[in-house]
Amino acid sequence: MFGADSARPIAFALERVSKRYGSVVALAEVSLSFAVGSTTALIGSSGAGKSTVLRLLLGLDWPDQGVVRTGGEILQRAHVLELRRRVGYVIQEGGLFPHLTVLGNLALLPRYMGWTTAQVHARAQELAELTHLSRDVLERYPAELSGGQRQRVALMRGLMLNPDALLLDEPLGALDPLVRHELQDELKRIFDQLGKTVIVVTHDLAEAAWFAERLVLFRDGKVLQDGRLVDFCERPADEFVTRFVKAQRYLPEASA
Amino acid sequence: MKRALLTVLTVLAMLPALAWAAPVRIGSKQFTESVILGELARLNAQQAGVDARHQRELGGTSILWSALQHGAIDAYPEYTGTLTHELLRDVAPDADIPALREKLKPLGIGITDTLGFSDTYAIGMQENRAAQLHISRISDLAMHPELRFGFSNEFMDRTDGWPGIRQRYGLAQTQVRGLDHTLSYRAVASGAVDAIDLYSTDAEIPYYHLRTLNDDRHYFPRYEAVFLYRLELEQSAPAFIAALRKLCGRIDVSSMQRMNAEVKLGGMKESDVAARFLSISLVGGDGGFWQRLWQRTAEHVTLVALSLGMAVLLGIPLGILSARWKRAGQLVIGVTGILQTVPSLAMFVFMIPLLGIGTWPAAAALFLYSLLPIVRNTHAGLIDIPLELRESAAALGLPGSVRLRRVELPMATRSILAGIKTAAVINVGTATLAALIGAGGYGQPILTGIRLDNIGLILEGAVPAAVLALLVQGLFEGVERWLTPRGLRLEARQ
Repeated sequence: MFGADSARPIAFALERVSKRYGSVVALAEVSLSFAVGSTTALIGSSGAGKSTVLRLLLGLDWPDQGVVRTGGEILQRAHVLELRRRVGYVIQEGGLFPHLTVLGNLALLPRYMGWTTAQVHARAQELAELTHLSRDVLERYPAELSGGQRQRVALMRGLMLNPDALLLDEPLGALDPLVRHELQDELKRIFDQLGKTVIVVTHDLAEAAWFAERLVLFRDGKVLQDGRLVDFCERPADEFVTRFVKAQRYLPEASA
Repeated sequence: MKRALLTVLTVLAMLPALAWAAPVRIGSKQFTESVILGELARLNAQQAGVDARHQRELGGTSILWSALQHGAIDAYPEYTGTLTHELLRDVAPDADIPALREKLKPLGIGITDTLGFSDTYAIGMQENRAAQLHISRISDLAMHPELRFGFSNEFMDRTDGWPGIRQRYGLAQTQVRGLDHTLSYRAVASGAVDAIDLYSTDAEIPYYHLRTLNDDRHYFPRYEAVFLYRLELEQSAPAFIAALRKLCGRIDVSSMQRMNAEVKLGGMKESDVAARFLSISLVGGDGGFWQRLWQRTAEHVTLVALSLGMAVLLGIPLGILSARWKRAGQLVIGVTGILQTVPSLAMFVFMIPLLGIGTWPAAAALFLYSLLPIVRNTHAGLIDIPLELRESAAALGLPGSVRLRRVELPMATRSILAGIKTAAVINVGTATLAALIGAGGYGQPILTGIRLDNIGLILEGAVPAAVLALLVQGLFEGVERWLTPRGLRLEARQ
């Protein structure tokens, strides 16, 4: 299906990857590939293994069996730092460092890479425009930001070096519905605008379908179904897929 | 040219003299008589043109004996009974000085002849109480098993002290308490105890109207006062040894009792008393109150700063190591924890064979005490950083060293500073004990004050020590405010 789309080169791939944490199986012989420039949403209940995929792709964890490929090469510990710099990573609470201002958070990696202060500033301004973050927020500390602002800053930090790919792990999971809705729009626009390889982890089917055409549903460390929303609805791989789709709640009719 | 050559030759000729020109170091124990004898030796040597220093009230017998053997001091006053009963093995209890000299020779230690008096142990009671119970001899005590004894801690432990005398005289008293020797006079005067141990030259015997009980079974050995010195001084500082020998036979019991009384009861300085005995006049003195305070403050702050500086330099890396490798961490924290439990006096004594006496061994002991709070807090500060933040730093692609420097250590700042603060405050307190091994500081007047029962002197050390502890606390709180990143303070407020 999407994994077999051979027209585009492969950005990331898992080949028969298994991973367990103690006695808990996180992934069981999973094979998946992500084409360059594609947007994919990984969905499933918590503990289904979807976050583990991102951690393996970044070299934060290593498979017990199987291999992880990035850009066709097998991921090795010696090259993991360079890989991470070419990938932006955004997590649920943002993962901002509380002792640094927004600008300090943004500057951390670029300064290490030898950028000048002026270059850092210019890039920060550019990304502030992209993410619709007001400029006076740059001097604030994470503790002074709203939840939505924190996620915008986390995204900016991930984009500073203009990476090839963005991996987002429940990026909107901790936000209230209004902010969440607004940021869903913004993220969608940004993904389309940048054209990078994007993998988003979420447990919300509607959000997943809003971001990506390709959905990958995980259950108990295995891929249950890999396809478009319409396939999930019309050709569910099994009973659980149907239950997962039906679990979406719609607003009841307002009684007049 | 000729003159230049002459100068060079003169300097060369003086080199051997310079080589042993280091001052002779005399030590003394923690009681008045020993300090006076130390002062006598110093002044006497100086009169003979020998540069001598007196490191006063270094501690108990074990500290002085250890310091002499390891060359941390060159000479100190001792008593023959202590040598036969405590310090030397395989020696007859009644060995005379020539016999002791033979025994000490292989140890590289020399002994003078008697200074002229014997300061033996004795048992004393209040005159009227003793008269009432018809007690004049130690053997009379056996008939009064209800009597309460208060003995100095050293006397309680020594084989020639309470355990031995109880056996010899068949004493059955059960109410026996350990007391500080200087406090025991007050205890017996107030009736809190009935009998105490004494030294026969104690100034307080007439002052408190005490009766010295007759040692009718000749249990107590003779404690002839002598000087012990390192034998190599006979070559390197013959003038000092000659001066020391001149003191022998010159001090009789009544002179010693009088000098003890002048210091303990008359409030005179040991140096003045010793100078009067030697009929020499002292020039100057040890300066006024402020000068003394300044000097002790300098000594105290040096001790704390030295030990704390070393502990920070080693403790933070050890803390980082412990946070990174769990096994190593358990080991490091375990070892520093054990160090913390070593009693401070014992720690100071352990340092003597390694580093001698004075500032360095004291700073080393304090350094070991400072390690635990710093290591533990560095470890805790790093471990407490939320996992997702540590991983965010890793996911950015920053190498470990940069993560440590830019993210992890700054986030642990508060905890680390709190550890350093704890160590500093503990050190200010513990450093008062450093005077016991000759490091000076605020402990010096406290020691002297306890010995002379002088509250003023005790306060002269205790008050500045307390003030310094508060200042250090305040200083570190300021540093903490200044160094803690603003973002962390904002976060803590939420």
